Amino acid sequence: MTANTLVNSKLVCVALNDKAQLAALDATFNEAPYKKPPTQPVLYYKPRNTWSADGAEVEWAKDFDGNDVAEMAVGASLGVVIGKETCRVSAEEALQYVGGYTVVADYSLPEQNYYRPDIKGKCLDTSAPVGPEIVAADKVGNPSELKVTVSVNGTQKSVFELANMERSVAELISIISRIMTLQPGEIIAVGFAGDRVPVAKSDRVEASIEGVGTLKNTLGGA
Amino acid sequence: MRHARIIFDGRELDIDIDANDRITTSEGEVLDVALDSDQISWLPPVKEPGTIFALGINYADHATELAFEPPKEPLVFIKHANTLTGHKQVSYRPDNIDYQHYECELVAVIGKSGKNIKREDALDYVAGYTVCNDFAIRDYLENYYRPNLRVKSRDSLLPMGPWIVDTADIPDANALKLTTTVNGKVTQDGSTKDMIFDVPFVIEYLSKIMTLNPGDMICTGTPHGIVDCQPGDTIVCTIEDVCSLETRMVSEQEYYGDKY
Repeated sequence: MTANTLVNSKLVCVALNDKAQLAALDATFNEAPYKKPPTQPVLYYKPRNTWSADGAEVEWAKDFDGNDVAEMAVGASLGVVIGKETCRVSAEEALQYVGGYTVVADYSLPEQNYYRPDIKGKCLDTSAPVGPEIVAADKVGNPSELKVTVSVNGTQKSVFELANMERSVAELISIISRIMTLQPGEIIAVGFAGDRVPVAKSDRVEASIEGVGTLKNTLGGA
Repeated sequence: MRHARIIFDGRELDIDIDANDRITTSEGEVLDVALDSDQISWLPPVKEPGTIFALGINYADHATELAFEPPKEPLVFIKHANTLTGHKQVSYRPDNIDYQHYECELVAVIGKSGKNIKREDALDYVAGYTVCNDFAIRDYLENYYRPNLRVKSRDSLLPMGPWIVDTADIPDANALKLTTTVNGKVTQDGSTKDMIFDVPFVIEYLSKIMTLNPGDMICTGTPHGIVDCQPGDTIVCTIEDVCSLETRMVSEQEYYGDKY
């Protein structure tokens, strides 16, 4: 965890919130081990050892034999920063609890399986840069109209319109707040493009949301 | 020596408890109160809780009980401090569910930072041991990042404590009797010797993936013997030589009060 992380105490991420990805995986999700598509948001944590900041280098992961892994990937999401204690709120009132917005990048091993918690893939040190800053909620407007882009070495690789999320920001806040009481400064990464972007050692990555900011990081491993 | 956090006489205190149950605060003040006194409110024992790692299906007999093959590598999931509560506090049962059970578990509390820690050095990174009750709600299980957050990340459903016992005072953490009672009746009777992946193994495993830090906790899973728990039940999870953790179940409405 870097000293200047913007995250306070918790970073909750929402997987499989891209409608197109859910549609593409529908047949898979009707087979074992899943047996049926998810009925609830699919959530995971990026724990504190992953938290990092704008401009920081992201470590290239090692496998269990201590060798560099062959592949890593990145996804980017709008980060919803909780503004006040959020406990069991309705979707209608949920956006009142948002203090601001930021950009979350999730560097990981390629997503291959959603059956078990992906500790090996997702919990890598420095793999969750957040930033570059927190923009006040009233400066952003309707989060469902935002668009998240990922560029690698100056070339745009991914565009994700939040209107294509299976569940909206407000719905997610409401559902999550009925699982856990959220505290000010805790962040929810509400949705990633289903196709994660492959990255290589030393790549320069920009995750950007117009009106929220551009989060710049470089892969290590060179 | 044992270490805990309490509220006593209106003050939040870090305390040490010696072999004669004498309580001394971090300021050196000796408290004239018995350990079982109702004047003590027990807080979760880790002062600055970090990442909580919990293991699923880490006892072969429990794996059988759940109709799973024992895993070939640890099944680890993550929890956060919102789930923590202390000894003699309450945990809630969500409305409209059929099956919520306790999970009595040995917890290793990390005492110093490390990455790529070898098994033989692992206990140097453990500050001590405590007990937790890692409640689960089976109704909410889905086959996505299972056990999913809806099952395992709920407020108050990880009671822990009452205290941390220094690592040096537990010569063999894999030879401890583990029992749970519900309303005084023994419902779980096992031993940490039946753990599939022990604490040194898990520390080596996790620290190959990531840096472990002080205040991180590893909850090591539960053996055979889980039963449904209802509001009004008192559950006591005990691990020999470590501690006994008492929890009273309440309804969702009673737990959340005005926020319900």
